[in-house]
Amino acid sequence: MAYSVLIVDDSPVMRTFIRRVLALSGFEVGECTEASNGEEALAQLRARAVDIILTDINMPVMNGEELLRKLGADGILKTTPAVVISTDATNERILKMIALGAEGYMSKPFTPESLREELERILGERDASRTGTTSGV
Amino acid sequence: MPQELEQPAAFEPQIRMDEEPGAGEIIRLTTAEVLETMFFTEAEPAACEHAWLPSAPCARVRFEGSHFGEMLLAVSAEAADPIAASFLGLDPMELTDPQRGQMIQELTNILCGAMLSKLWPESRLAIGSPELMPWPDWSGNGALHRCFATPEGMLAISIRLLAASRPVGPGA
Repeated sequence: MAYSVLIVDDSPVMRTFIRRVLALSGFEVGECTEASNGEEALAQLRARAVDIILTDINMPVMNGEELLRKLGADGILKTTPAVVISTDATNERILKMIALGAEGYMSKPFTPESLREELERILGERDASRTGTTSGV
Repeated sequence: MPQELEQPAAFEPQIRMDEEPGAGEIIRLTTAEVLETMFFTEAEPAACEHAWLPSAPCARVRFEGSHFGEMLLAVSAEAADPIAASFLGLDPMELTDPQRGQMIQELTNILCGAMLSKLWPESRLAIGSPELMPWPDWSGNGALHRCFATPEGMLAISIRLLAASRPVGPGA
């Protein structure tokens, strides 16, 4: 099954890199779209749903924290899982983003394999909960 | 990308990074890990021969919070294009000047975040936006400095702590 992915990062080279890592990882990507901040991401998501969101934290206009808050408050979008990708691997930051609703947290540096495992874990749990089966995590 | 931080209030060393226990080894391990996993190349410690530094692309990033300081990264001119191309999955001939600069900034950001998280995992830190600049002279300021050799060329990293007191920003 191929999944649709939205990459949210204000750095064009980082968005390109994440696309590259997704391709290298073997994770099955269908449509892959990009946004440069949380506001752009929300506009895109309201027009077209995706299977999973990969988001940076620090971005202009709307940062990753605010994006997670908006997603959590949206009756439709709150079911879309979000993974934070950040340079900050401090415990406080990770716990804060999880508390805001992030279902995964990837701190840089990360390997293509670790990204694929995290996405498959999250989407596997989501698919299992939809079908009523048990996740193999 | 990180946020903008204010100019530091003072530049006196808070504590000497070159005397921070384990910091040199963390820089070595982190640099090797970042270059291998995200830039698909290798980095080995190398002797500091700095004739290449004046012509090298360089970026500085500041951090604040439970610790306050800044980090410098320089990538030798011959290494910048192949490393950027590897990061982006492009042919070096396809690279643009903005992509080259953004790669240096992104590498600086990733290295700084990874090092700080390993140095002080329980800290609360905000990392600023990396800025491109010429390599400055930090000698005698308590900075910890290391040079690395990659198959493509050289890297130089310096990190130092500064005296300052300011409220912590919202993110890192």
